[in-house]
Amino acid sequence: MYDELTKSYQAQSDSLLGIVPGTDGIRTQALADFLSKGFPTKKTEDWRYSDLKALTASAFEMAGSDADPEVPAALSETAARFVFVNGRYRESLSDMGELWQAASVRPLVNHFTASEDRAGELVRGQDAIGLLNTALLRDGMVISVPTGVEIDDPVEIIHIMTGADAQAAHTRHLIELGEAAKLHIVERFIGDGSSYWTNSVLQARITEGGKLAHTRLQEEGANAVHTAKAHITVGAEGSYQACNLSLGGKIARFEAHVRLLSEECVAYVDGVALASTGQSHDTLTHVSHTQPHTNSDQIFRTVADARGKTSFQGKVTVDKDAQKVEADQSFKALVMDRTAEANAKPELEIFADDVKCSHGATVGELDAKAIFYLTSRGIDPVTARQMLVSAFTAEALERVENDSVRAEMTERVDAWMAKRADV
Amino acid sequence: MLKINNLHVEVAGKEIIKGLSLEIKAGETHAIMGLNGAGKSTLANTIAGRDDYEVTAGSIEFEGKYLMELEPHERVAAGLFLGFQYPVEIPGVSNLNFMRTALNSVRKQHGEEDMSAAEFMKLIREKAKMLGMDPDMLKRFVNVGFSGGEKKRNEMVQMAVLNPKLAVLDETDSGLDIDALKTVADGINVQRRDDTAVLLITHYQRLLSYVQPDFVHVMIDGKIVKSGGKELALELEEKGYADVA
Repeated sequence: MYDELTKSYQAQSDSLLGIVPGTDGIRTQALADFLSKGFPTKKTEDWRYSDLKALTASAFEMAGSDADPEVPAALSETAARFVFVNGRYRESLSDMGELWQAASVRPLVNHFTASEDRAGELVRGQDAIGLLNTALLRDGMVISVPTGVEIDDPVEIIHIMTGADAQAAHTRHLIELGEAAKLHIVERFIGDGSSYWTNSVLQARITEGGKLAHTRLQEEGANAVHTAKAHITVGAEGSYQACNLSLGGKIARFEAHVRLLSEECVAYVDGVALASTGQSHDTLTHVSHTQPHTNSDQIFRTVADARGKTSFQGKVTVDKDAQKVEADQSFKALVMDRTAEANAKPELEIFADDVKCSHGATVGELDAKAIFYLTSRGIDPVTARQMLVSAFTAEALERVENDSVRAEMTERVDAWMAKRADV
Repeated sequence: MLKINNLHVEVAGKEIIKGLSLEIKAGETHAIMGLNGAGKSTLANTIAGRDDYEVTAGSIEFEGKYLMELEPHERVAAGLFLGFQYPVEIPGVSNLNFMRTALNSVRKQHGEEDMSAAEFMKLIREKAKMLGMDPDMLKRFVNVGFSGGEKKRNEMVQMAVLNPKLAVLDETDSGLDIDALKTVADGINVQRRDDTAVLLITHYQRLLSYVQPDFVHVMIDGKIVKSGGKELALELEEKGYADVA
């Protein structure tokens, strides 16, 4: 591939050798795969809706770690709060709360052993974006909740990028839930106006009866590229409930890869994306039903303003022996302007014969009749539109259990509409 | 209160209202009767300010203001209410939230403070009870899953909450069984006072037995062709539109 890029990423990866003990082997492998694969192009089916020119023009250096940014207030009461600045864990800004008493918590650097035994836990990645995260990983949180322990308040992980022009952060978080353990991770992404790249991976293993809620609030700076992946496996009677609110960045992409590995487990993967002028929000989900009696449900709602773009690719696979599976998927997009774009590509690959799978995708405009009805009751048109968009997106936020987190998300949807009206 | 003068309205380039004049004074109840396609609903929606209905000539004055200069929500603040022939379903917005936002929007336009939640709940419960609406329906999404009759009843609750000076009720009687019709008629009669007015738009004489109008107008092909007292409604019912006009 591109010489400059190759040289830079090779050098960056090499400079990390020995820094995170136990990862040199997988790091080197990932880099080699990355170099041979190269970045996805618009011809790469999974990436057809995201324009990655910003990533291929020149290399992103590793972000510096000396900045001292303001940390916004938490969305809710938290069990703990971990702050990452430019991709690096910042202990002085974090708050361990009481989580350490109930669960094992440590930064990624201290997780692996020199023997590389544990490195096998790392998802190596399939495309260049994921592989590069592995080749350049350095920091992240490792949280392991023991059997039977339920952490009620969310654990907030906040990623802050500042003064990071042409710099990137490749964070990697590892979550493990023991039997019947419960955890709510809230991931937040914020940043300033610099043209940085956030490339984050969260992987989680949910064992029998474990319940993981994963809420994402993506509010990157206006010039940022945001690529993130969640790799989740769910054991018997376990559940994974994800909700992604995508608001920031210039190019934003979230992928959820969920494997339902045992009977009676379930995945809820929901999301809302609001694309302002010039923004692209892309979501790819892949829910894989490998066993009978596994269920999944996905609800996505997106709104795109003038020259904004939202895309959804939702893939559901049902293996041959995975009978009695129920998998539903609903994608609805609103376009607020003729120049807005919404793409939907549902994909079902079903090899079992006794399954119930459904998918629906619609793209439309705000209902003029509904606007007239609301205004004919005295409600001004701006508020009327806001009410309709809020109602439209509410369904996709409903499964966020924590009331104050959900309220914060709803408020951001309303604020987006209010800001839009000011322009 | 309302003065319509030589009104012409086009919908999608086609003239539907073709020179209609009508005056309604405070304390009066008028009924406009006519067959489908006569332009009755177009008239109602034009008064309320639907933006795809284009007024090409004439004027509508309401309480001394030219309505064409006001947005739909401003017309409501001025005291106008349209009861819809087909009330719109709004999934995701609860009836309570809808009515409270509506009432407070009107108060805001009048420079008044929001009504407190407690005060509002008291008001809406009282109006729902008066109109025989199950209080549980207040929590449901606006008109979603409501029967035809329930939707019309919901319109009447909204009217009662907003307490307009002029209520324009478009086919409010359609889809109602006799009990619902009586309840709705009671709701309209409560709204008739010396300082208010009602314009009923209807196909049939049925509603007019319960809400007796002071004036009846016959509308054919975008114009009022005949006006009279309440006996005109009975005459129409007996002889049909062709003979009366």
